[in-house]
Amino acid sequence: MQGFAVALTWKNLFFMLVGILLGVLIGVLPGLGGANGVAILLPLTFTMPPTSAIIMLSCIYWGALFGGAIASILFNIPGEPWSVATTFDGYPMAQQGRAGEALTAAFTSSFVGALFAVIVVTFLAPLVARFALKFGPPEFFAVQLLTFCSFIGMGREPAVKTLASMMLGFALAAVGLDTVIGTLRMTFGTTQLLQGFDFLIAVIGLFGLGEILLTMDEGLAFKGKPARIVTRIVLKTWAMMPRYWMTSLRACLIGCWMGITPGGATPASFMTYGMARRFSRNGDKFGEGE
Amino acid sequence: MPAPRVHGRAVETRKAELVVAVLLVLAGLVVIADSIRVGISWGDDGPRAGYFPFYIGCALAAAGAIVAVQTLLRWRALAGSTFVTSEQLRPVLTVLVPTIGYFALIATIGMYAASAIYITAFMLWQGRFRVLPAVAVGVGVPVAIFLLFEVWFLIPLPKGPIEHLLGY
Repeated sequence: MQGFAVALTWKNLFFMLVGILLGVLIGVLPGLGGANGVAILLPLTFTMPPTSAIIMLSCIYWGALFGGAIASILFNIPGEPWSVATTFDGYPMAQQGRAGEALTAAFTSSFVGALFAVIVVTFLAPLVARFALKFGPPEFFAVQLLTFCSFIGMGREPAVKTLASMMLGFALAAVGLDTVIGTLRMTFGTTQLLQGFDFLIAVIGLFGLGEILLTMDEGLAFKGKPARIVTRIVLKTWAMMPRYWMTSLRACLIGCWMGITPGGATPASFMTYGMARRFSRNGDKFGEGE
Repeated sequence: MPAPRVHGRAVETRKAELVVAVLLVLAGLVVIADSIRVGISWGDDGPRAGYFPFYIGCALAAAGAIVAVQTLLRWRALAGSTFVTSEQLRPVLTVLVPTIGYFALIATIGMYAASAIYITAFMLWQGRFRVLPAVAVGVGVPVAIFLLFEVWFLIPLPKGPIEHLLGY
């Protein structure tokens, strides 16, 4: 409780605001994510007291997460690995003129999830830390295997096609220097392939270029989707959100579980999406903005 | 994209599926071949570099082959669905072909000069802008990017002979 009192002083609230704003700005730019943002803006915090600095940096990180959702929803170009799942429904909603609702839902869920996580961390941190330290390579493998299996389980496309795309991804990831013994794999003599393919390059190529070509197909009008957040839409969405409390609670639990076990945010977001689809009565409408 | 009516030539979905499936098989074979080159066995100190990619390649080739066989088995039933019509294909190609040319230019004359040419040409040809604004934007954007990344952020981007002449 004393921690909350420290965090909620005016000065720290101001740093939170600045951090969130900067974070959103960074998150919207594809290629710059939470971790990069924190690294770039680290010098800003050198003159601050340590508590304020940590507060501001974590706010930059949260802001970047939400900023990634903005680009996903409006442009169908995910700025971050973990906002890929947001494009599945967010962009179709924006196309239907419901961008405001999608954005409100995204940031409200972020807030609920963050609050839940903070409370869990505050009360369970010592227990959780002991547990997380037990994680070794076999456990990592298990978590990733679970994630990839859930891709196949939740995909709407035939399982073989999902498998093919996953294997193509694995193959691309295998390009470059072998991290264990340093042999060159599939570089075919080019120096550029030494480092392999970055995740972002694949995402920008798949989603960004694809989106631009699709827009050409529909006539030259790459505008993204307009969004106006007015209070009425925000209130309407909030009124709607309690209906999804079960989804939200499940997402919180999966998110915390995957955060404690070092699975990370990306598998968590996909798994939550898959679970939400599985448990929903009208799962077929997923991907269309339901 | 629902294609209302097919005018002129069109590419059928089943053909596109088949081509992609065959490409996947080829990609899988490339992965397998290179994995065998670096060794797929288990060495003294653990798996060799090709151990894991080899099975990835096998799975990729197998998945591609299954998709291809499935498409061929249902060839009749899949008829009629259009992947892209020539009317849709043309605007897509007007972007895709210059973009591929742009990537080829990046490799030879560097990103900045290639971007200037690409942006100017696109504004003149597709956007029907007048020469002055097209050239201004086409040169201005690469210069701004150069200042931002090369000078302030110190992130090197692909450069060519022109930048070398200027001393970078």
